[in-house]
Amino acid sequence: MRSHRPARSRSIRLALGLLAGLAALPAAAGTLVAYTALEEDEIKAYVAAAKKDLPDIDIKVLRLSTGDLGARILAEAGNPRHDVIWGWALTNLLDPRIVDLLEPYAARGSEALAAKDKAADGKWFAATGYMAAFCVNTEILAAKKLPLPTSWQDLAKPIYKGEIAMPNPVSSGTGYLQIAALLQGMGADAGWKYLKALDGNVAQYIKSGSRPCKAARSGEFAIGISLAFAAMQSIEEGYPLKMVIPSDGAGYELEASGLMKSSKNKADAKRFLDWTLSPQAAGLYTRYKEIVTIPGTPRSKAATAAGLPADLSGVLFPMDFARSARERDATLATWQKQIGR
Amino acid sequence: MSGHERHDERALPGGEEEPMTAAPLAAADRWLMRACLYVPLAALLLFFALPMGFIAWRSLMQDDGGIGFANYLALLDTPGVWQATRNSLGLGVATTAITLLLAFVLAYGMERTCMRGRRFVAAALTLPLLAPSLVLGLGLIFILGRNGIVGQLLGIRPDIYGFHGLLIADVLYALPQAVLILRAALRCADARQYEAAEVLGATPWRQFRDITLPGMRYGLLSAGFVVFTVTITDFGNAVVIGGDFSVLATEIYNQVSGQMRFGIGAVVGLLLLLPAALSVWIERVAAQRQAGIGAESAQPPQPRIARGRDGLYAIACLGIASAICAVVATVVIAGFIRLWPYRLDLTLKHYDITVSGGYASLWASLAVSLIAATAGTLLLFLLAFSVRRLSGWPARAATLLATLPVGVPGLVLGLAYVFAFNEPALPWGALYGSLFLLAMCNFYHYHTQGYVSMATGLRAVPAQLEEAVAVLGGGVGRLLADVHLPALRITLWAVAAFLFMRSMVTLSAVIFLVTPELSLSAVTVMRLDEAGFTSQAAAFSTCIMAVVGAVALLLHRLTSRCRVP
Repeated sequence: MRSHRPARSRSIRLALGLLAGLAALPAAAGTLVAYTALEEDEIKAYVAAAKKDLPDIDIKVLRLSTGDLGARILAEAGNPRHDVIWGWALTNLLDPRIVDLLEPYAARGSEALAAKDKAADGKWFAATGYMAAFCVNTEILAAKKLPLPTSWQDLAKPIYKGEIAMPNPVSSGTGYLQIAALLQGMGADAGWKYLKALDGNVAQYIKSGSRPCKAARSGEFAIGISLAFAAMQSIEEGYPLKMVIPSDGAGYELEASGLMKSSKNKADAKRFLDWTLSPQAAGLYTRYKEIVTIPGTPRSKAATAAGLPADLSGVLFPMDFARSARERDATLATWQKQIGR
Repeated sequence: MSGHERHDERALPGGEEEPMTAAPLAAADRWLMRACLYVPLAALLLFFALPMGFIAWRSLMQDDGGIGFANYLALLDTPGVWQATRNSLGLGVATTAITLLLAFVLAYGMERTCMRGRRFVAAALTLPLLAPSLVLGLGLIFILGRNGIVGQLLGIRPDIYGFHGLLIADVLYALPQAVLILRAALRCADARQYEAAEVLGATPWRQFRDITLPGMRYGLLSAGFVVFTVTITDFGNAVVIGGDFSVLATEIYNQVSGQMRFGIGAVVGLLLLLPAALSVWIERVAAQRQAGIGAESAQPPQPRIARGRDGLYAIACLGIASAICAVVATVVIAGFIRLWPYRLDLTLKHYDITVSGGYASLWASLAVSLIAATAGTLLLFLLAFSVRRLSGWPARAATLLATLPVGVPGLVLGLAYVFAFNEPALPWGALYGSLFLLAMCNFYHYHTQGYVSMATGLRAVPAQLEEAVAVLGGGVGRLLADVHLPALRITLWAVAAFLFMRSMVTLSAVIFLVTPELSLSAVTVMRLDEAGFTSQAAAFSTCIMAVVGAVALLLHRLTSRCRVP
């Protein structure tokens, strides 16, 4: 039998190598870490395209839901591990503690964006957005002989009692954006009155924004107040679902991106941010996004599929994101006192 | 002080009490003994006390930048927090009562009867441990939901969301952990006590009441405390099936992930440590009362065939086991169905997972879990062994620290790890983002359950046997090799398997520690579910369970081969 020694020293070296590999190395030049809350299949398509256009950058992406990502970014704020925030709910990004982490950068292409889609100080810009929608299960609706609701006002009708699931605004950004839109659109008095009327019909406030749609598609409830994205994904999967964009206005959210002050690879980070506004990226957005802010982008396939009119301003609540972010604590406190269960 | 052996009083089987006389340890052995304590204690300090210290510090950091108790005061005004506290306590008590009852039946059936199907019951009981938390909630909704199988069959729309659904899910989740502890407690009895009782003409009920129950008091208390604590800290079930029933764990989530406020979240996280801390005190009282049952020639009771009893236990245990299987099997089957519950033809397409990182995370999880299980079992064994032999404050501190982790919700532990380890200036900062840190996080998340099982199992080791080894000149090494390892073999494997399984699927803490390069399977399941790919999430969960099952079988084969015939 041969000696075991070489094998052992090799395995020791291997173990040491593994241990060294285990310790995470901070992003080196040529490597870019993006934290995002974009959806899974979009990320896959965008990163594949970006890697083709920016072959020398090793793009690494961490995807978490909007709420989890916020907690993670703030928890790591002492020593951030990412170079850019990429596609994250603007209402969350506008938290002063997050804005403080960002460095102004006027990405190439951002000059063409409308003023509402970028920060005055250049700390963020939003290339895309998503909007609220109702997910309506047509089978349950037929079984219960209910008409298709087409507006927020419809949802408050007593016939839908116990058949509506809605995201809890205290735990879900989507839930908050919906009540913020209603309150901003109707004004505080009428808004709260409406929310209380709606509350009488709501069977459950679910803790995530996409879960009400999943509950509706699996037939647990007839209607899930959720996101257009979740509705379209479910329809594509084949569920007996109809997406309804409320005719009296849908809340929406912008997905903002920005450069981290702490980034050790700002050159590549900037090139990546430029890319997110490039025509190549815009072309991809039309495949997934109902709302694309880049001017001159052809009407998105997603918007067509959603049955949206060419001019979105008619169906979207004119959201004031700075106000949503500012009033968040007070609004949620009121919601918890008057409606929360 | 730490070198002194403990001189507790232990009752001999006959009932007469006699102080245990300890032979002095050799100097080298004393050092070895201390190392057995200090290594796990140092690890506890670094991987549990230090991160939790950061949480305590955060709980004092006020929104205005100052330091003080504002967050604690703000908690009193937080709407809904009292309701959530009441809900959590009520749910905890109900879950504990039901779980203990069922767990006792299961543990007794498996350890003390000759009922059939014990292997099946044991296998079924591992399912809630090795299934991602989504699986239990999803399975219950598929079966008992408003559009579930039961509702469809009966033509009704039952409402499972809220207290009742959460109760069922939490019982399912806590049951295996309680059985783990109760089985360890039932293993440490002395058959001769029962023989003596038999000779004296005691009825089986009398034997049960006077021998079995008192011998299990410690195990029952520990199991009850573990069940209560995991119930009030569990988030996974509450979010899927809890509906509008708010509990403290969801309250923390609302604060931290919903509103990006760490202060109040940290306060609630610390308050949830109270039951665990209280239990340490209760345990100490119980341990003083508990008569030492181990005798030098203690023989584990060999169950005898009793048809009526065995049949009853078989019905009860198989019933519970089948219910668990049904919940998990529904999700497994849903992973093979084209579109649950609308188009029921079979397909493999959901196993073609290309988003969310695909299957790569499965192997990372496997590595993390193997490290957590081996390092964890070793550290737990050394700790349980050394605090039994040593007194003094380091041993007491170690016992307290070992018992606290169960009271920490995963989300708080994850935050604590970020605060403590995302510090490049500090020597342990290099661990951040590493496989090893994830393994340690998962191990310390479930530290208490492992420790309690180990400590319960160690009670079976007769003190007299330890003395005999010492008198014959055997050192600490001999003691470990000849007395404790053989006596604890089953418990050691059970603890390792438990740590391995939980580490494969635990989620809320690791959300904060995964990196773009290093993701874990539980995170993949969550991401698939969030993206709306429910069937793929079910399919991926099935893969996780299959991998864990395969590893468990492999280990079982390996261990049964080295078993002494």
